[in-house]
Amino acid sequence: MTVEVLADRGARARRDEEVDVVIVGAGPSGSVAALHLARAGISVVVLEQGEWPDYADYTGARPEHELVSTKLWHPNPNVRDNPNDYPVDTSTTDINPLMFAGVGGSATLYGAQWMHFLPSDFRVRSMDGVAEDWPFTYEDLLPYQLEIEREVGVSGLAGDPAYPPRGAYPFPALPMGSVGQRGALGMEKMGWHWWPGSNAIPSEKFGELNPCVRRGTCLTGCPEGAKSTTDRSHWPLALKAGARLVTRARVKEIETNEQGLATGVVYVDANGRDRRQRAKVVILCANGVGTPRLLLMSGGSRTPDGLANSSGLVGKRLMMHPFASVLASYQDPLDSWRGPFGQQVYSLEFYETDESRGFVRGSKWNCMPSGGPVGVSGATGSKVYVAESGRFQDFWGANLHENVARRFGHSLIWGIVGEDLPEESNQVVLSKDLVDSDGLPAPQIIYKVNENSNRLLKFNIDRCLESVRAAGAIETLVSTPVRESGWHLIGTTVMGDDPKRSVVDQWGACHDVPNLYVMDASTFPTSGATNPTATIMAVALRNTRRMIAERRNQKVA
Amino acid sequence: MSDENAFLVLADFLIPAHGKMPKFSDVCGYADVEKSLDFRIDLKSGFARGIAVGPATGAEARLESLNKEDGEAFSAITTIAIATYYMSPRVRELIGYPGQENVPYDSKATQIYLTNGSLGQVVARGRKYRPTPGL
Ligand SMILES: Cc1cc2nc3c(=O)[nH]c(=O)nc-3n(C[C@H](O)[C@H](O)[C@H](O)COP(=O)(O)OP(=O)(O)OC[C@H]3O[C@@H](n4cnc5c(N)ncnc54)[C@H](O)[C@@H]3O)c2cc1C
Ligand code: SF4
Repeated sequence: MTVEVLADRGARARRDEEVDVVIVGAGPSGSVAALHLARAGISVVVLEQGEWPDYADYTGARPEHELVSTKLWHPNPNVRDNPNDYPVDTSTTDINPLMFAGVGGSATLYGAQWMHFLPSDFRVRSMDGVAEDWPFTYEDLLPYQLEIEREVGVSGLAGDPAYPPRGAYPFPALPMGSVGQRGALGMEKMGWHWWPGSNAIPSEKFGELNPCVRRGTCLTGCPEGAKSTTDRSHWPLALKAGARLVTRARVKEIETNEQGLATGVVYVDANGRDRRQRAKVVILCANGVGTPRLLLMSGGSRTPDGLANSSGLVGKRLMMHPFASVLASYQDPLDSWRGPFGQQVYSLEFYETDESRGFVRGSKWNCMPSGGPVGVSGATGSKVYVAESGRFQDFWGANLHENVARRFGHSLIWGIVGEDLPEESNQVVLSKDLVDSDGLPAPQIIYKVNENSNRLLKFNIDRCLESVRAAGAIETLVSTPVRESGWHLIGTTVMGDDPKRSVVDQWGACHDVPNLYVMDASTFPTSGATNPTATIMAVALRNTRRMIAERRNQKVA
Repeated sequence: MSDENAFLVLADFLIPAHGKMPKFSDVCGYADVEKSLDFRIDLKSGFARGIAVGPATGAEARLESLNKEDGEAFSAITTIAIATYYMSPRVRELIGYPGQENVPYDSKATQIYLTNGSLGQVVARGRKYRPTPGL
């Protein structure tokens, strides 16, 4: 049976049926849980507010790409203005959260940079005296990381001395273009760490994934079907194993009984009708903004501050990885519109704490191509590469031609991801006036970039400028902190052993509602400084395995 | 002034001839502009406002006031101008841009960093991570 037929069959909701598990969200975390539960013979329904991707809509191979993608495939839901997304109230945040609704989730637009957290990320309290240690270690998670890599089809090169020894990647690293070589040259001149990029982009045909042809439009959807997203890596297998997926199904409430146990969810279907999906277990995989939003919308009069919120921590401790970028132009051609856009090279030189720098924890850098002429001109759009300037004339007229001549095909970008430390004042709350297309309250983000992050970014930008200049840069442009950079949404239902100081336990089960789970990055006590999806999927797999093993002991309504 | 002229005057101010590069109206017609707007219907109302008043005061002053008073219109005019210009096959040829092309490669080919010793130096600098067992 084809994936289309299976998907269609799954889309029909069955009235009043109780399933073993209902999952909210079909992004990376929800897809992992669905696949493994279904394979274990557990009945599972996934509710996703977005739709299946249509690869013909990805414009990467067409001339109008730069024009269309800055709207249709913009990572900020407020710019896309698509009724499948919920809007976000960003009036009280320094950084806009970025995400996408659909089968495959926000990874539809991700750069596919594939990084494990490092050992110290799980031990920040013990090592650096800040925030909290995780309830488990790097070593505990590694087997799940490696299993997920095989499911996703990651390409990379083992042997990086910034990590403990690990096995080979499933696929060889993608070719390093001139951009990566120039980035590495600067690091080599400084004697600093760099390594060929690891990406969730198989370099060879893998299942439903085609080999990458370096089209370089990964951040706006891969028209080749080469970037690994779970609509291709996981869903064909999950549907065959019996999982059901209902798209355009927006969950509005988690229901509970008198004993405080979850009994299922209510969702708005594609026709705007309310429907109920009863389930023995509910799993939230709606990301660091969508998950606390749903908990805050649930609970009714029994728990007016939101479901599973006796600690008062639902929505709090939001971390978004303040980000800076350095664009560097060179005299020589670097073919810098060619992909992969993910990361050709990364550096963990400044990852670990060195207190002499005036801040704790550190950063991860990734070297990427700079893209097409419209983007590098800095004249319009999100201005990711160029600091705001008062005068429009700086970007237009003869300046436009000169900027494009200097940068287009001749430049690279180093992205600098800084570890974000948890603070309760950085949080997701429900907006009082903004609503989504179903009239449900939108999330509001209250977030300030803290002093540690400001110092961290400044230090790293200064080092980055040294590196690119050592490799011969003739022009540099810095953007910090980039407002449109909240692509990592972490920490809003923190895990821990103490129900007073955490929302879920180390397996993702809510302390207050033992048959309600969270399996996305909301549970992370700290954020690390690497891109989080590898760790999100590995933690989801670890939790799912445990749920399967303990199914007979699961408390249900 | 027609819509067509009103826009082309602004576009030629934003993208004039310079060195080997042609000005906007040398390589793009108004039909190209309309095609771009069809890809971005969200920009149509801002675009219409941007060209509604002819640039009696001159293109620069007009753009200056749009930039200050109607950001949406300024953004629509500039986005359509720049995107249409860099979609032009002639402009792409001049700057050496084939578009986001397909470049197949041999995934098994040995990468240069493995043969020129550069990656070897990273490895030689030794372990960077802080081990945590026992903590
Ligand atoms: C532009 C961009 C670039 C990125 N680049 C990288 C990268 O290079 N490397 C990396 O590791 N990470 C990257 N990320 C982050 C990565 O996409 C996320 O970490 C990952 O997608 C999180 O997976 P998730 O399943 O937890 O959440 P999501 O992928 O956000 O999925 C959540 C799903 O839940 C659905 N949902 C939410 N609320 C409801 C509701 N009430 N009812 C029904 N459905 C609901 C949403 O529609 C969505 O599909 C990037 C993100 C963006 C936006
Ligand atoms: S670089 Fe590869 S993965 Fe990225 S869009 Fe192009 S073909 Fe797809």
